[in-house]
Amino acid sequence: MNGELTLLLLRLAFLTLLWLFVFGVVYALRTDLFGQRVRRMPADQAQQQVAAAPAPQVSPFQTAPGRPAPARQSAPISSLPDGPNTSRPGHEAPIKATTTSARRIVITGGPRAGLEIALQPEPLTIGRSSESGLVIRDDYTSTHHARLLLWNDEWMIQDLDSTNGTFLAGKRVHAPVQVPLNTPIKVGATTFELRR
Amino acid sequence: MSEAVTEMISRDQQRPVDKAASVNVPRRLRNLELVLVLFASAINGGALYLVQLGAIGAFDSSFFLPAMGLAVLVLGMHVALRFIAPHADPFILPIATLLNGLGIAGIYRLDLAYGVAGWESVAVRQVVWTGLAIAVAITVLVMLRNHRVLQRYRYSAMFVGLLLLLLPMLPLIGREINGARVWIGIGSFSFQPGEIAKIALAVFFAGYLVTARDSLSMVGAKFLGMRFPRVRDLGPILVIWAAAMAVLVFQRDLGTSLLYFGLFVVMIYVATGRLSWVLLGLLLFVGGAMAAAQLGYVGGRLNAWLTPFDQSVYDAQGGSYQLVTGLFGLAHGGLIGTGLGQGMPNVTPLANSDFIIASLGEELGLAGVFAILALYLLFVSRGFRIGFAGQDDFGKLLSIGLSFVVALQVFIVIGGVTRVIPLTGLTTPFMAAGGSSLLANWIIAAVLLRLSDTVRNQPRVVVQ
Repeated sequence: MNGELTLLLLRLAFLTLLWLFVFGVVYALRTDLFGQRVRRMPADQAQQQVAAAPAPQVSPFQTAPGRPAPARQSAPISSLPDGPNTSRPGHEAPIKATTTSARRIVITGGPRAGLEIALQPEPLTIGRSSESGLVIRDDYTSTHHARLLLWNDEWMIQDLDSTNGTFLAGKRVHAPVQVPLNTPIKVGATTFELRR
Repeated sequence: MSEAVTEMISRDQQRPVDKAASVNVPRRLRNLELVLVLFASAINGGALYLVQLGAIGAFDSSFFLPAMGLAVLVLGMHVALRFIAPHADPFILPIATLLNGLGIAGIYRLDLAYGVAGWESVAVRQVVWTGLAIAVAITVLVMLRNHRVLQRYRYSAMFVGLLLLLLPMLPLIGREINGARVWIGIGSFSFQPGEIAKIALAVFFAGYLVTARDSLSMVGAKFLGMRFPRVRDLGPILVIWAAAMAVLVFQRDLGTSLLYFGLFVVMIYVATGRLSWVLLGLLLFVGGAMAAAQLGYVGGRLNAWLTPFDQSVYDAQGGSYQLVTGLFGLAHGGLIGTGLGQGMPNVTPLANSDFIIASLGEELGLAGVFAILALYLLFVSRGFRIGFAGQDDFGKLLSIGLSFVVALQVFIVIGGVTRVIPLTGLTTPFMAAGGSSLLANWIIAAVLLRLSDTVRNQPRVVVQ
């Protein structure tokens, strides 16, 4: 009787241990399952960014889409009002960002504005997940938000069904679209451009 | 407002901390792995101890110590990972260790019931095979420093895969066991080359689909809301279908055939994103299997699946006896099982290979079976995760293919044993008795670890 009781208790203890292991693994990968925790932005800063978010303001002195930007251009100048491939009359067509023409990513807006990253000729994932190539952690970024793809050596931006969207030159990206040089891409509160 | 201020302060303080943390990411991952590996080994030891306590009523160190020697080998693999793949996924190794250890405990329990010991004992051989498989997995990790190398050998992989598939049909070394001709044997040593073939074929499919997917996905006529491929693009799927049907007819193995064909269909679906391939594949396979059902053994399997409790089916040669005793075992186990070493799983034929889940299900109950299924789910989800986070298309397809093959195999075997689908002979990954299966699955684990290391190795910029 005593032995049977011990065996029963041991059996239950074993099953508990087994499930503890399973839940231990699930707990350890909770950021993968439920997304990275966000640090809420300070209220004033957030408001400011929300106001800026829907449409990049058309700056009075915009550059022509085709003109290659000078090497150390200041951020807001190149925020284009138009879509990437709609070449407006009177402007030459924008230059495609290819592996040869685009060499770096320049962050032009958001908390890390001014940062430059060398662009490797391989796809780059963008999102809040720490596995992304470019990790952006704010209230408006999804865990796997978007990615830069290479199609025949030309850079494309693809939105990965993010909640708040990815904007190329102020237009929301639905299908993968080609990225012209010096055109702002907005993910969450961060804006960046591909430059040569 | 005060909250916002504290948030801001903490945000500013966080920056340098995060920078330091990101440097320590690999160490943190490996420490997590170490804890989980030790936990898994402790559970494995507990399972063996409970088996001995339940079946013979005393502790016997003669099997316990060598089996726990495997924990040392797993720790060796963990240490190797610290040096050669520090960014690798920390969950794959512990989950594989636990599944393997539970399998050994189940097999050992059956050996106690059959009364075999020494080299006769399946469990002893399983322990030796596990040791070998882990050693091979470490070798794979050491040799394969960059998975993209595999892409270069895609056509060699195809030949190796097909050769391994066809090897059992050769007259001298081919061997037929329980009606299926999927083994090769030299002397008393037998091996199931098809298990290794699945890795080679996954490499080939991934390499081939990376180059061919544009023609497979972009063109074709639209019908019923789906874009169907052109007739001339059907070549590859027809070749793989023919190979699967050859396995079905000549090797008399429905499970293997379904496994390879399912692997190809899913990889083509992932590569092209077109549902029409899945539809096409399903139609082709069901059509082929229906035709093969006329062969007899497939028809018998279908019959045993639909009416297992019919007395004539139960008594028939190759009928539903095995399936039904397995089901009785599971029912006997109930919610929390009879306890390790206290059931009678030895009644079921082949209880230590195809029916290992029924034997463990009897002694661990529904709670235990669900824990095992959750472990498989986690393993496969890690594989998919690695594929999702991957940067190159080949790596993505390869990890999806390798983890899907594990998932499909679990579904085919456990679905067969629990009468969800017709029973087909396949091994339960990591658990069933059999060296070839262990070897193949540990190699899959090693390749997934290598892939996850390269994925996490990407240079990162953190904006926050």
